[in-house]
Amino acid sequence: MQILKVEDLTLQYGEQIILDQVSFSIKKGQIIGLLGPNGAGKSSIIKILAGLVFPKKGRLYFKSKLQNSFSDLRQYCGYLIDSPSFYPYLTAKQNLNLIKKINKSELNIDDLLFKVGLFDLNKKKVKHFSTGMKQRLAIAQALLRSPEILILDEPFNGLDPNGFQDVLNLLKKLNKDGITIIISSHLLNELEQFAETFILLHNGKIALEICKETLINSKKRVAFTFENKPSSKANEYITKIDGIFTSDFKTVIHLKPNEIAEVVNTLVSMKSTPINVETLTILQEQYLEITA
Amino acid sequence: MINILQIELYKLFSSYRTYISFAITILLMLIVDLGLYSDGEEIFSFLLQPLNDNFYVEGNIVNGYLIAYLALNTLWVHIPVLIIIVTTHIFSGEFEYGTIRILLTQPISRSSLLTAKIISMIIYTICFMVIVAVFALIPSVIFFGTSDVIIFIDGIQFIQEETFLPRFFYATVFAILAMIAFSSMAMYFALWFRNTLTAILLSLGLLILFTLIQTFVLGIFSAWQPFLFTYHIAKWQLFFVDEIPFKTILNSALFLFTMSAFFIGLSFWKFNKMNISE
Repeated sequence: MQILKVEDLTLQYGEQIILDQVSFSIKKGQIIGLLGPNGAGKSSIIKILAGLVFPKKGRLYFKSKLQNSFSDLRQYCGYLIDSPSFYPYLTAKQNLNLIKKINKSELNIDDLLFKVGLFDLNKKKVKHFSTGMKQRLAIAQALLRSPEILILDEPFNGLDPNGFQDVLNLLKKLNKDGITIIISSHLLNELEQFAETFILLHNGKIALEICKETLINSKKRVAFTFENKPSSKANEYITKIDGIFTSDFKTVIHLKPNEIAEVVNTLVSMKSTPINVETLTILQEQYLEITA
Repeated sequence: MINILQIELYKLFSSYRTYISFAITILLMLIVDLGLYSDGEEIFSFLLQPLNDNFYVEGNIVNGYLIAYLALNTLWVHIPVLIIIVTTHIFSGEFEYGTIRILLTQPISRSSLLTAKIISMIIYTICFMVIVAVFALIPSVIFFGTSDVIIFIDGIQFIQEETFLPRFFYATVFAILAMIAFSSMAMYFALWFRNTLTAILLSLGLLILFTLIQTFVLGIFSAWQPFLFTYHIAKWQLFFVDEIPFKTILNSALFLFTMSAFFIGLSFWKFNKMNISE
């Protein structure tokens, strides 16, 4: 079931076009990753969906119903926008109580703090929190409305490996509970671990939209590095399977995942053993092309 | 709406800034009392020397009512400064903390949020002015007692003891309106620049500049005076003129009310179309 559909979304500041007729849709329970380098437009999409920025044009459908404005989406969503910010002179619990009051939420703050692993720190003032703690508190804040969609802008920013893993596990758990997640990040590898659909943005346009299944089964860019020049037999073989030599010792071939082992075995049998095999998904390849 | 207002008031009265401003005001009033307690007689006998040469002045000239009136003179600069330090922060603080993003992503309208903030600003200003009035009046009356008051506004004004309190009350109410007008302007600057310090500097810059222009009674600046908010803010003094010029005061009150409405309207317009892109 389609939960959200964005059509023709355009954002312009003066003469500068930030988003150019972007359209996409999301199914219920999906995790969708918005990817792209800085300035690609991913944060702008999130901010429009959060009602913080007003687009020049665009239509929004929630559960197939056309909404009057993008701000209308706020009642169904929880947000984490950029670096999480709270009133530093209040405790975690006091901060959440304020948001709870605005939303007239029935949720128990202690339960929520427990869920995000901050229960023991509920009386600590937020000014003493680390980035990871603030990030988790921001997720708790986003959950206060029992949202159907969680919209997160760069939630992994500033997190150490442990903090990253904590937040990642929490998001996976929330998704398992049925919450649809839209997440923007420039950390491609991290996002690839758990998103199901990827939208790669470049210069305010969608450069690539691909689901995980297609991504896994599609051809990968495989770079083979050899210690010595490959034998003539190996050269012939590489050319035959559309390999391109980027140098005397390196060749790039686009292969399906199940073909990689076979090619390596063949090269080994031709006395041209690669010393390094580097694979890039189509998403990683395009991302690198864009950011290069 | 009531919910949002409660939240705004909770934030306002949870911040140490609010109480620091109250504490400084109380201290300011007590310093005026203390200063006049030690040197008051000397200062006033010097100031009233010409009067004493021609008249026999009976009673307690340096009394609590006179000191309460003198304390209100902090309305020129001190009180506006202290008030806008807090009122601008009600608005720009959200941008500085980044909490504006959290607030605006809640399912509430921007107009409701701004209305709640404006009401908080007004409540704070009223609380502040009540503290000023109470601490200008009560300690000075306790320390110095009460009597008729001699004040210099357009010449010497003799205020009878029994008429002082109503005059003081009206002056305080007028001062509240004046401070709300000034805060409304500062609020608009706070929204425009999204920065407390810039808003305070700009508001104070205008306060000082206009007060300076206002002091030039003759010459090219005299025609500008009716258009300066400082000219109208200063009209609280007229409640201490023997025959209170209600028409002049009402005109100034209308000016200040219009000024508040203008800046509040401008703030709604600005806030409702503002992109929070950073």
